[in-house]
Parts: sequence; structure tokens; C-alpha cells
Amino acid sequence: MSEGGKESKTPMVYICGECHNENEIRPRDPIRCRECGYRIMYKKRTKRLIVFDAR
Amino acid sequence: MGEYSGMDQQFVETHFGNSSDFTKPIKEIEEKWKLVPAFLKIKGLVKQHIDSFNYFINVEIKKIVEANDKVVCDADPLFYIKYTNVYVGSPDVDEGFNISKPTTPHECRLRDMTYSAPITVDIEYMRGSQRVSRTGLLIGRMPIMLRSSNCVLTNKSEYELAKMNECPLDPGGYFVVKGQEKVILIQEQLSRNRLILEEGKYGVQCQVTSSTHEKKTRTIVFVKANKYYLGHNSFIDPIPISIVFKAMGVISDQEISTMVGIKDLRKITPTLEECHTLKIYTQEAALKYLGTKLVPKRFVTTKVKTPLEEAREALTSTILSHVPVVEYNYKMKAVYLALMLKRVIEAQSDSKFLDDKDYYGNKRLELAGSLLSLMFEDVFKRFNFDLKTIAEKTIPKIRATQFDVVKYMKSDLITNCLVFAIATGNWTIKRFRMERHGVTQVLSRLSYISALGMMTRVNSQFEKTRKVSGPRSLQPSQWGMLCPSDTPEGEACGLVKNLALMTHITTEGDENPLVRLANNTGVLEINTVGGEFINSDGVYLVFLNGNIIGAIRHYRRLISMFRLMRRSGYISGYCSIYPNHLHRCVYISSDGGRLCRPYIIVINGIPSVSKEHIVELEKGIRSFEDFLHDGLIEFLDVNEENDSYIACYERDITRETTHLEISTFTLLGVCAGLVPYPHHNQSPRNTYQCAMGKQAMGTIGYNQKNRMDTLMYNLVYPQAPMVKTKTIELTNFDKLPAGQNATIAVMSYSGYDIEDALIINKASLDRGFGRCLVYKTSKCLLKRYANQTFDRIQGPLIDTQNSKPIWKHGVLDADGIVGPGEQVLNKQTIVNRSIPVISAVPGAAPGGATSSIEFRDAPIVYKNPESSYVEKVMVSTNEEESGLIKILLRQTRRPEIGDKFSSRHGQKGVVGLVVEQEDMPFNEYGICPDIIMNPHGYPSRMTVGKLIELLSGKAGLLEGKFHYGTAFGGSKVADVSEELSKHGFNYQGKDFFTSGITGEPLEAYIYSGPVYYQKLKHMVQDKMHARARGPRAVLTRQPTEGRSKDGGLRLGEMERDCLIGYGASMMLVERLMVSSDICEVDVCNQCGRLGYCGWCNSCKSSGQVSTITMPYACKLLLTELQAMNITARLTLNHYCK
Repeated sequence: MSEGGKESKTPMVYICGECHNENEIRPRDPIRCRECGYRIMYKKRTKRLIVFDAR
Repeated sequence: MGEYSGMDQQFVETHFGNSSDFTKPIKEIEEKWKLVPAFLKIKGLVKQHIDSFNYFINVEIKKIVEANDKVVCDADPLFYIKYTNVYVGSPDVDEGFNISKPTTPHECRLRDMTYSAPITVDIEYMRGSQRVSRTGLLIGRMPIMLRSSNCVLTNKSEYELAKMNECPLDPGGYFVVKGQEKVILIQEQLSRNRLILEEGKYGVQCQVTSSTHEKKTRTIVFVKANKYYLGHNSFIDPIPISIVFKAMGVISDQEISTMVGIKDLRKITPTLEECHTLKIYTQEAALKYLGTKLVPKRFVTTKVKTPLEEAREALTSTILSHVPVVEYNYKMKAVYLALMLKRVIEAQSDSKFLDDKDYYGNKRLELAGSLLSLMFEDVFKRFNFDLKTIAEKTIPKIRATQFDVVKYMKSDLITNCLVFAIATGNWTIKRFRMERHGVTQVLSRLSYISALGMMTRVNSQFEKTRKVSGPRSLQPSQWGMLCPSDTPEGEACGLVKNLALMTHITTEGDENPLVRLANNTGVLEINTVGGEFINSDGVYLVFLNGNIIGAIRHYRRLISMFRLMRRSGYISGYCSIYPNHLHRCVYISSDGGRLCRPYIIVINGIPSVSKEHIVELEKGIRSFEDFLHDGLIEFLDVNEENDSYIACYERDITRETTHLEISTFTLLGVCAGLVPYPHHNQSPRNTYQCAMGKQAMGTIGYNQKNRMDTLMYNLVYPQAPMVKTKTIELTNFDKLPAGQNATIAVMSYSGYDIEDALIINKASLDRGFGRCLVYKTSKCLLKRYANQTFDRIQGPLIDTQNSKPIWKHGVLDADGIVGPGEQVLNKQTIVNRSIPVISAVPGAAPGGATSSIEFRDAPIVYKNPESSYVEKVMVSTNEEESGLIKILLRQTRRPEIGDKFSSRHGQKGVVGLVVEQEDMPFNEYGICPDIIMNPHGYPSRMTVGKLIELLSGKAGLLEGKFHYGTAFGGSKVADVSEELSKHGFNYQGKDFFTSGITGEPLEAYIYSGPVYYQKLKHMVQDKMHARARGPRAVLTRQPTEGRSKDGGLRLGEMERDCLIGYGASMMLVERLMVSSDICEVDVCNQCGRLGYCGWCNSCKSSGQVSTITMPYACKLLLTELQAMNITARLTLNHYCK
């Protein structure tokens, strides 16, 4: 659902909450899984490196 | 025994067995508590909510529609709508284009939707002159209770539930409305349609609140100056009761007095005389008199009636409206009224006749089903009324298309009304003048127990502010029905209660079979008997749900017959019968909302349930229902309980005993059931634990990782308690625990353990003791507006210099939402949303030129000095098809100084010091305690249960098993101690300890072992707060209030008093002015008013103006006063003079 300047061309990938299918959803697309029609999507984990303190 | 004395020994022995067996005590039925889980499978705890809702959805809703099945209108005599049927479907969501998909409660929770099912009707109506019938017409949507008959979760296996992301242990019984879980609390109120005698304004009065589907009225019979009156809202004055009798057709004074049946006739002579002074001798005259006393109606209907007719109407349908009047036969009502009068007369001389309003037999509990049915009936009537007005408005108009009502049947009205009521908890029904707030509450999901505890909560209708002790104190009649321990402290103390483990709340039952049974057993119908018979000796009146159905001479036969029929299953097992010898009445009830619980039937001193039955139960051959069917167990309500002899244990059974308790621990509720050995504790400690058990962190359900609640606390390593209770197993607390078994040593250590503070082992913390996960969910809605604009999300803003995102947008992905796994710092953006500046202007928006719309930034920002990690990001849409983004943020916290912990005995404490393991004392096995607790916590609190828990827990560790601390039972101290000594430990649970600091042995043996500790939700991190300088309120310029607004710390009135008392005047000035809202103002000493910049504007001079400091609040007061035309003039003096 974004309209980010350059990035708007590259659609984001979301994972369906029902069938775990990866869906490419462009901003302003309806949020619905192409495979099963489920309406809840989750974002994929960030690609950035995350470091945790062991405490 | 007398009649058998003549028989010879031989005869007795062959027929009755060895006579020495007769005197033997009755053997205890072991494992008879296993009936409790069998009971909980079919009834109890949340089942009453579900049963009540099922009854509403399957039976009551049909009755309501049937009662209001016709809509006609005055404009067209041919026009009508007739409802022929109504159904509630299964829950679904509207996908648009008239397609609906079945949904699950979890989807509704996540997407902030309402878990509801369509209500459809079959109708028959007139379209013009044509009769049309339609089926399956949607009139609204009904929120569906989870696990009710229409819910998708019912009768599903654990696997199927897991597929639907639902916890199999979740009790259900609540609603999901707009994504929130809402519980309709059980409401407690005085029972309706019953005679209540009480002290009134003028003395004794008899009050009846009649409640039928149409009306709810209150009728009072009271005494004033030796005369008896009837008071009712529809009359302007109280009416002498003799006139009412005459109006009902009981004309002669003799007939009235026999009907009342008072021996001392002098009591009612003044009342009877009233008729003669008013010269009322006939029914007509009496009705005419009543007609003059009627309250004038506000809305004059078209049909004009004479006052006489109106009075007759009022007498038939409003006064004592629950007593039926068939074809103007007032006999039943007259008998009822006579009884009211009789009770008042009797109560005047004997206070035993006064009713106890706090007695639980006089109370009814209202559940979700009955509350919803009230709401639905009201809104359905409104729906029909709206249809009627539309028809009346539209039919006279001549139009091209024919008038079709179906077009006007919108589903919004009913849907919105029901959803609004459940979402807000405001139950307003104008027809009954009912206005209640806080009927529903958000289901507390702090822990599994808090959710379960909420489902058993009973709310009282009493005002919290009133300082009466009656309704708050423990009632003997609530034994076994309501938990004696579980009630909050403070203002709601005793008004909010909780159901006990085995309580069941009845749903309404059919009256007809009961009437038939009563008539067949010798009850004479009331219309056929006269006053003389009713009031003769040995004759008892028979009531059914507050209505007199007749009189009987052999009432004992009726009662035993009735009970026999109930035990053999010919009539409902939930109806009750009991005599009241004082009233000389037999009461039968089958109404809903009565508290009842099961008991084992005892016949001739022998319990019906035997060991064989229990073995069958264990094998699964027998279920609890079979026990009911076979007449081994029956349900008793509070009233019938008081007509029974109930033994707690087999050893207490005597010849008179009629029933036997199934298990004594069931008299406690869910929360109190967690406490081990509660019978060894001082009672308030158990009450404290009931409150704290609901704040304990732990697990909330098997689906907790899939949930996205606004706030969720989880323990990283939850443990099942070492010392269990039966209740813990029955409620599955051991599967979803909230706490950990900590090894505690009861000793003093440093000074950081005074006032209940705890010393915690640092190594234990490193190993994960008390470590918790705090989840918070941020929500972001992307709305669409009327002018075709909508909220949008943009990607991160890029810094032009280094072509990297700016710091605020550092964690955003390309779509403008944080990615899962990212660490979020204070004040960073997690959703970069912007909303259009103009949204409400209709038509002004340009159709295609979306780019020209101005947007304003409205980001969702993370605000917390401690960082969080993003656990999960959900993207979806809600019911209105607007975008919904939920971000689950996680914090992992280890205990720190100031975090709150508690054992299960009302022994709470905060962490006072975290000590390195090296410095902790240790015993000869090298065991170091996790927690050191100060022994001063015991003597004054007398929580002996905690001492025993420690002992049992320790023995359990050595033996490798769980011990039981069930109420009124559990492992015995002697046995446990024996077990300890068997393993070479001290019999009393004390150990030899060595100091970790000095290396010397401690002087005393230390009482140590495992105790179950709960981490409570109150943590310093959420509370600590300090400020030097910071934001100020705009109006007063004083520091803001509260931690969330970075507010100042208030020096309150009492603190101020201390400073005044001490005489620290400069300190006062500093605290209240300098550090708060100091302000320099210019005051003109000539006119006393405020000026500015050294200039007085009223004197037009600067001669007398001087600058002084004062609190801004004072300056504000002066100007505010001036604004309302009051001038406060200041006189200045030099303070050295």
C-alpha cells in the first residue's frame, strides 16, 4: 500500500497467513492471497543483519 | 426400630444381612471427586454462558419473532408482513458482491471484525394486492458466542482447532466484536414475580415486581395508619385495597375477609370501612373510582375509552401483570392480592415474615442469552415499527413501482444495535426503563486464569457508593454456589463475586408439564376453591414461578411425588420444589437464572453412588448425564438446598440425610482453587491471591504466538506447580501455567529484604528465572474518505547527502512499514503513513488528479525509551475494506530490582536486591536458593499453607512426583515429613546452610524448598519516572501530569500541609511557585490592576507600576475574574516595611 518514489516499481513480497504462499502485492492492490483468497498477509523477515546481546 | 423388635434374629439376618453391619460407618466412596471433571465436561464454569446463548439463539429468538410476527399498517388494510420463521446461521464475512465466506474467530480478532452470523427470516407479505412469500431474508447480524451451537469451533477436534489457530483449552463463552474479545458479565438481581416483604416508608410492605414480555411493573401493598393500600405507578394515589378487591369482583366484605384469612378481623375493618365511607358497593362503582385515580396518559390514542374501561384495562394488564387474567376472571389475581395483604398483616406482628433480600434463593442471575434477548426483542420491535411507518408514509403515494417492503428491510439497524450494545456495554431499553452500563467487559488476557476467572464473574446491580454491608457480606446461602474467597478488595468488595466450580445456572424450562403433574398429584385449581379452603389448617398454596396454581392438603405427597418424577427424568432435572412452612406454601420453580449444583442422592442413609459406578465412570462407560438419568445425582437450587439434609462426607451421614456432597473442594472457585492448602491460610490471604493470580504472567493459550493483542505478557519458561490441586488439573492450569517453582530459603539476608522485599539469585536470573516477554501491538488504519482520497504509506525518506534513509526512517522497508526482526529505537517511525489534508469536502476532489492532493504526515512512531524488536507485521483489511496494519513489538525482560513477585498465598513482594550466586548461602548439597524471603512475612499473616506447600514441594522433588494441596484434603504434613526423612532430609524441612559471604555455617537451620512463584505484571520499567524540566500545560503553565506526558512529581495537599506545619516558607515558595508556574507581572499600585511592560493601561501611566512574581495560576485567576466583570485589585506593600 505504498507509493514510495523509486521503489514503487518493485512490488513487496508478503506471505499468506493461510497457505504460506508468497504474494507480490503492489501498493493499492487488494490484500488477498492469489492461491487461497485469504485476506491476512505477513511481512517477510528483514534482510538486514540483527545482532542480539546475550544477557 | 421398634416395629422390628418382635422379629427373631434369624429372620433379620436372612432378610437384611448381618446386623453388626448396620452400625458400621458408611465406607467412603473413593475417587468420587472424579464426578467433578465429568460434570465440568457437560456443565459449569463457562457452559452456563454457552447454554444460555444457545437457548436464546435456538429457542428464544423464535419465540420473540413469533410474538411479534405481524406488521400491519393503517394506510392499507390489506397490507401485512408476517414472519413465518427465523434462523441464525453460521458466522461468515462479507466478501463483497454478495459473496460470503465462513470465518474463524481468530481471523476476526486479527482483522478487527465482528464474529457474527446472519439472522434470516421467512416472510409472507402483500405487494400491492399480491401475496408474496420470501425465504432467507437477511434482517441483521448476530454476534456469535464462541463455542456456542452456531460457532465454528464447537465439536471440533484438537487438530481442527489448531488448524483454525484456536487454543483447545480456551473456554469460549465470549464474543469477538470489532476484534475485541467481550464478555457479557453475569448480572445478579432480585428475582422477579416473587412476593418480597420489606420495611418500607410507612412500615411493612409487600412488593412484587411483575415482569412479562410486554411489561415490567411494580405493585406494592402497604399499611398506613392501620389501613391497607395498594400502590402502583399507574395510579396517582395509593388505593384502599378493599376497593381493588371490589373492582376485581370480590364484592362482599365477608368474601374479602375469608379470602385474606386473617383470624383477627379487626385488622382489616378500617380498610373495609373505607369502601362504605366512599359509598362503593359494586364492581362498577369501584372501577369508576379507580378510573378517577388513573395517571393521565401522555399520548392520547385514537380509540377513546371511558375511565371505567381504562381502569379495568389497568387492572387486567398492568397491576400484577404476571398473574394471568382470562376473560376478565380476576379470581387468581384477587387471591394473589389477598395473599399479599395477608403477608403484610402477618409481618406486622412477626418480623420472621420479612424476606432477606440478600438470600440467594431470592436472586436470579442474568446471563448473556437473556440480556441479548431483551436487546433483540427491543430492536426487533423497533425494526417492525420502522417498517410500519415507512409503509404508512409510502403506500398513499402513487408511484410507478409498486411498494415492496423488502426493499426497506435493512440489516443495519439490528446489526448495529447488537454490536453497539456488546461493544460499549450500555444496555438501554426504553420500554423497561432499563439503563445499565458496564454490562460487558473486555476479556482480560493477562493469563489463562484471568480469562477463565472473568467468565465466572458475577456482577451485582447494587450501587458501589452506598455504604451498606448487607449485600457485600458473605451470605450463608451462597455456600457451594459462589466462591467465598474470590472477591476484589476496595469499593467493589462483595459486590463482584465469582461462581464456584460446580455451579450451574438454570435456563428457562417449560411450565406446562409441571402444572399437569401438580394437578395430577392433588393440587386443586385456584379457580375452583374458595377463600375458606385456602386458609384452612394444613392446606398449602402451590406456586409455580411466582404464580399461584392451586392449593393442596397433602403437600408432602406432592413434594415427594415431584422429586420422584424429577429423579426418574419425567420432568426437567433443573426445576425445584420446596415447602415454606412459615408461608404455608409450596414453591415450584422452573425459571431461568437460578443457581444450582449437583448432589449425590442419599436414600435411607446410603448414598446412591457406589464404587462400581465410579469404576464405570473411569472406564468411560458412564457419563455424568447417566448419573442424572439413573437418579443417582440431582441438581438442587438454593431454595431446595435448604429443605435438604446434606452431608459433606460419608461419615456425617445420618438417618435424616438426603444428599451427599460430591467433593468439598468445589465450594471454591477457579481462582481460589489455585491456592494449595487454602484451608490452612488466614482467609483474607486467599482473597489476596485470587486478585493476584489474575495479574500473574505466564501462558495465555496454545495460540498465543498467533495472537496480536495490544498488550500481552508471557513467561519465557513457565512451569507447572510442584504442589497441585484438583482444581488446577480440572481447569488445565498445569497445561497453561503462570509461574515458576523457585527454591526459597526463609531467612534474613542483608537489609534489602525488609518489608516483604525479596533477595534474588543472579545466576537464577541468568538461567531464565522470571524472564518474560512483553508484546505490544501498534495498529495503523488506512482509511478511505468520502472525496475519493485515502491514506497512503510512503517508503523511507532518503538523505540526499549519503543516500541512506534518515535516522527516523532507519528501520522502514521499501513499503514504508518496518520489517520483522528489526530493532526499533525510541521515536523511530514504524509505519510512514500520510493522510490527505482535505478529506471531508464532498465533490470538490478532482476525479483523476490524485497527485494534486496535499498530504500531511501522520506516522506511527515508537515511543518508549527502551527499544523493542519487531516480532511480526500483519497486513490486512477490516470490515470496511480499509487497510489495517498491525505490528507486534517484543521486549524480553529479565527481573530487576523493583519487579513484583508473589507466591500463591497472598504474599507479594518486590525484588530488593539481586545477589551474585557466590554470595548466596548454600546447603550441603550445594543447592543455592533462587529467592531468599524474610521470615517476618509469616507471623502476622499466618499463611501456614505456604509453609506446607514448601514441605510438600520438597518431598515431591525427592520422590519425583507432584503432591496435592487440594482444599480440605491434599497430602498430609505427617506423610510428607515422613517422605522427607526417608530421603535423609530433616523431618521439618530445615536444612544446614553455609554463608556464601563468610564461608561459615549459618547459626540456624534454614527452612527451604520449592515454592511456586508468580511474576506479576507490575514492573519498574513501566513505572519508573523522574523529571527535572519538561513539558508544561498550556493553560496554567504548570508542569504536565502523568508519566506518559513526562509529567512533574506533584507536591500534594498533604505534603504542603507538612511544610506549612514545619514553617518552611521558602521551601513552599520554591516548590509551589518557582519550580512550577512562576510568572512576572506588572501591577499598578494606583488602581491595583495588572499592567504590562511597566505601563498601566487604565491609569495611562507608568508611575506606580512595579514588577512582582506570582504563580501563573494566580494571574490566570485574576484575568478570568476580569473576564466575568469582577476586578480584583492588588495592593502592594514593600515587605521590609
